[in-house]
Amino acid sequence: MSFKTAMEGYAKYEGLGNWAFILHRLAGLGVILFLIIHVLDTAAVYFKPSLYADAVSLYRSPVFGIGEIILVLCVIYHGLNGLRIIYFDMINPNLWTIEINRKSVIWTWIITLVLWLPAAVVMGSHIIEHLGS
Amino acid sequence: MTTQTRKVEVPQGWEAFAWKWMRYSGVLIFILAWIHVLIQDILVGVYNIDINYVAGRWHGGFWRVYDFLLLFFAFSHGMNGTRQVLADYIHGAGARRALNWILLIIWAVVVVIGTVAIFGFTPPAA
Repeated sequence: MSFKTAMEGYAKYEGLGNWAFILHRLAGLGVILFLIIHVLDTAAVYFKPSLYADAVSLYRSPVFGIGEIILVLCVIYHGLNGLRIIYFDMINPNLWTIEINRKSVIWTWIITLVLWLPAAVVMGSHIIEHLGS
Repeated sequence: MTTQTRKVEVPQGWEAFAWKWMRYSGVLIFILAWIHVLIQDILVGVYNIDINYVAGRWHGGFWRVYDFLLLFFAFSHGMNGTRQVLADYIHGAGARRALNWILLIIWAVVVVIGTVAIFGFTPPAA
């Protein structure tokens, strides 16, 4: 068993439920990676305030701005898909059928995009307003 | 097509606790993290955030407690999630034990640093 075996397994076992699982993990790992950095940078307000100013100016760069928009997508998707899993697991396990799973994954993505797009427009317009400043 | 849910006996050990933890903490984080992201990333935005903003936000106790709860639950959820993902690729008993210890230490260090900052911070005299 290795990483290669696992990835081949993922590739062969296609299906929306499986994609939801993979994306849930990737989004979660992305958020926790940012969270470690974010806790440490915010802690700088107490430990080293000058470092906090540097961190914030870095976050204001367009590259980080785009990263932030992707981060919000990860938070929205991971949160909604997580609630879906919690509802299925804890409240109604009979929903764990291939059919219902696939339909609910599609709905999870529709709601994710409906919530994310306006957020992305707001955040994107903030980036554009501050270009070059 | 009807589906029968299969009932299985789950041993009530640490792993069962961790499994439930992800779900219960998930509901709480869903509320705490979404409000946090909505306010800080979308409504306020990084261009309006600096140390004075943090000082205003942490003036009273409410947002300090809020941020502590978010830190504790989200970070614990995320570190356990990382552990569960890595455990799918790391199969040796010794390697898994080492993984658990490394993640536990990272978890403790980051939670302590964050908690000290949240409650230790005093706004600079204006």
